[in-house]
Amino acid sequence: MLELRHISKSFPGVRALEDVSLQFRPGEIHGLVGENGAGKSTAIKIIAGILAPDAGDIVLNGAPITLDDARDSLGQGIGIVHQELQVIPDASVAENIMLDKLPTRGLGVIDWPATFREARKHVAQVGLDVPLDRLVRGLSAAQKQLIQIARALSADVKVLLLDEPTSSLTEHEARRLFALLRELRARGVALVFVSHKLGEIFELCDRVSVLRDGRVVGCREIPQTTPQELVHMMIGRECNDDRLGRLSPDWNTEVLRVEHVVRRDRADDISFALHRGEILGFYGLVGSGRTELARILIGEDAMDSGSVLVRGRIAAIRDVGQSLYEHGIGYVTENRKEEGLLLEDSVQTNLAITVWPKLRRALTRRIDSRAETALASRQVDSLRIKTTGLSQPVKNLSGGNQQKVSIGKWLAADCDILIIDEPTAGVDVGAKQQIHQLIGDLAARDRKSVILISSDLPEIVRLANRILIFREHRIVGEVRDVDTQNKRYAEVSAEIAPHLE
Amino acid sequence: MTTTDETPVGFGRKDWVSGRTLGLIVFAGVLMVVMALASPNFLTQETFFSQSRYIAFYVFIAMAQAVCLAVGDLNLTVGAVGSIATVALGLLIAPDHAHLSAWLAVPLVFLIGPLTGLLHGQIITRLKMDAFIVTLSMMFVYMGLRSGVSGGNAYTIPVAFWWLGQGGLGNWLPYMVLIVLAVLGIVSYMYRNTVLGRRLLATGSNSDAARLSGINTSRMIVVAHVLSGCFSVAAAVLWASWSGNAAPQTGDDWLIISFAVAIIGGTGLRGNLISPLGILMGAIIFKLIQHSLVILKINDNYSNTLLGALILLAIVVDRARQHFEAANPASAR
Repeated sequence: MLELRHISKSFPGVRALEDVSLQFRPGEIHGLVGENGAGKSTAIKIIAGILAPDAGDIVLNGAPITLDDARDSLGQGIGIVHQELQVIPDASVAENIMLDKLPTRGLGVIDWPATFREARKHVAQVGLDVPLDRLVRGLSAAQKQLIQIARALSADVKVLLLDEPTSSLTEHEARRLFALLRELRARGVALVFVSHKLGEIFELCDRVSVLRDGRVVGCREIPQTTPQELVHMMIGRECNDDRLGRLSPDWNTEVLRVEHVVRRDRADDISFALHRGEILGFYGLVGSGRTELARILIGEDAMDSGSVLVRGRIAAIRDVGQSLYEHGIGYVTENRKEEGLLLEDSVQTNLAITVWPKLRRALTRRIDSRAETALASRQVDSLRIKTTGLSQPVKNLSGGNQQKVSIGKWLAADCDILIIDEPTAGVDVGAKQQIHQLIGDLAARDRKSVILISSDLPEIVRLANRILIFREHRIVGEVRDVDTQNKRYAEVSAEIAPHLE
Repeated sequence: MTTTDETPVGFGRKDWVSGRTLGLIVFAGVLMVVMALASPNFLTQETFFSQSRYIAFYVFIAMAQAVCLAVGDLNLTVGAVGSIATVALGLLIAPDHAHLSAWLAVPLVFLIGPLTGLLHGQIITRLKMDAFIVTLSMMFVYMGLRSGVSGGNAYTIPVAFWWLGQGGLGNWLPYMVLIVLAVLGIVSYMYRNTVLGRRLLATGSNSDAARLSGINTSRMIVVAHVLSGCFSVAAAVLWASWSGNAAPQTGDDWLIISFAVAIIGGTGLRGNLISPLGILMGAIIFKLIQHSLVILKINDNYSNTLLGALILLAIVVDRARQHFEAANPASAR
């Protein structure tokens, strides 16, 4: 059994963990939930030996252990699967799995037959079905996730930490992962499962601990608790799970029409229309062509053939600048840290980056800094972005607030058409609620048109008027009247399932 | 887990008179005091008149590197472009060659800067090649050209064109210093206040995010290389006028100087940070250190060793500073 006893940890200006005690038992899946900044990641990193606690003990089978780095924890049989996919893209599947223990035949020469033999064993264990000599670069997110798990398991772990392992997986892929985790549980591994998705916690876990502001606020046996109780523990208030009130779109006003768009291996004859005030959901597996289509629409990638009409006029969009400044189409990227934000720069810069040309004074060519500040503070107020000031670097904001900045720059630019890609990935419950409200308001109150790309089906059902289903770079189905018939999650799920088989 | 450290609002104001630049000013001041104490004829009008021109010259060379660093690129042709510009100027202006008027020759030579920059930028962005390999190859292309064309001989610059590099207001303020101050002012205004400047810095900060926010990052990279070429050529013209001849070896030692001064001056090595005032202070410190070697009678042949060590030292000091600030956010700025 692995125990944390009275662990505390501080960072400059922040108390990340305070007197945290947790127990992880063999043959049990232990959920760890909490809002962003509650201390989950810090706790995980301490167990993995990446961070050292300021006070308290880590106790393994009754004996206190010290973990100086990740190697130590692996030596103690503690493995970790990180949230971000940590694989080497230009190495083979086998090399990625055997990375830290490549068998050698003396003098550091790698024993390839042994490497592949070992790797094959672990690949079979996680049910990954790809050739071992394939480069990891071309694999799907789910496959990369499985490689990480296989790597952790190859060390014969007694404790396995999973930090939001499903954040880049679709429901279908997540199901398969869960089956694997249950199997590990049956073999007596202690599993620690960090997730934002309460549905997963209830489906998978035996017990769940809730962290808030660096403290453990409670630990519950799963059958004896409810999602409402957990949310209450996490944020101290009840969660509103109702559908958002929506106005019907103007079905007569087409703002965007896409006709037979083709790009090799990215988009296969895509046609659809988007209306004023509509939220159109794009649902599908990761890599099914949703993000790929979005990148074509904003001109980031070129199309081989097909046409796009914006407000009835043919639009040949060649880059994002044209998409934004000529056609009023904005795109909130799925990776806010890599592609959405200038992390080192201020909240103001990140909010105003799309508006600079409009803030320019005619004669001096100077950006009106007062107007820039006013614009940024308007966005901070209306989006309720929690920041110490407009000059705070966005890297210091929480995930949810970063996401709001990422959306805010397109609102500042007053886009009519907004493509929003996975808006609540890695965002805590409270912020998720606010972002949903915001997207709902955009369509209903401001009459903007939104394309919502999400792998979170409940999210799409909650927000969208209509859902397009993507598979292998095509649109394979459509769910209409999600709003008017007030369809529930289960109904939509049943409608979608046949298209994905 | 937010900390309270702050970047100044907006790009341009970042590092304008930041703690780092203040540190440079203090350091330069201390060096000056020490040298004034060590050498009685240091604080004189003559020393200022001669040494300030070196500083102006180093600022140009450093700017040629800094504008590229600021978009997250680098430029190894800083010296090589200066050297072909020098040879071109010699060919056009020398009495035993074309013997054109400086008013015609200098603008013609000046075109070399933007044109070579345009070429580098287009190769880098169109063919999606690394700036390192593109500018490395072009550096040798230019160096071969200047040796082939010139045969290694220096050209004479007519006395009529010496005023630019050798003259000044009164006997104490060289024109070169006036020019560099004006240019620094313009560059500073551009990065702080204009859309172009902000976009250059955004590109250096995160080019993917900048592009997906509607900035034509390829164009920004081309612009940076064009600006860089202009600074190289400006340095070459000033040097030729100052030294009175156009020597093909001009530019051979510029590359290391460009990195040293830009980095001491606080230009971010991974883009998005440029401080004209910092670069000016970097050039002053660099010159003061060189001057102290003369006072200490250290052999000039060791200067490259010194330069390399200085660059490393500047980076180590910056790392230490960041480390210190991360540990004590309250003391930042």
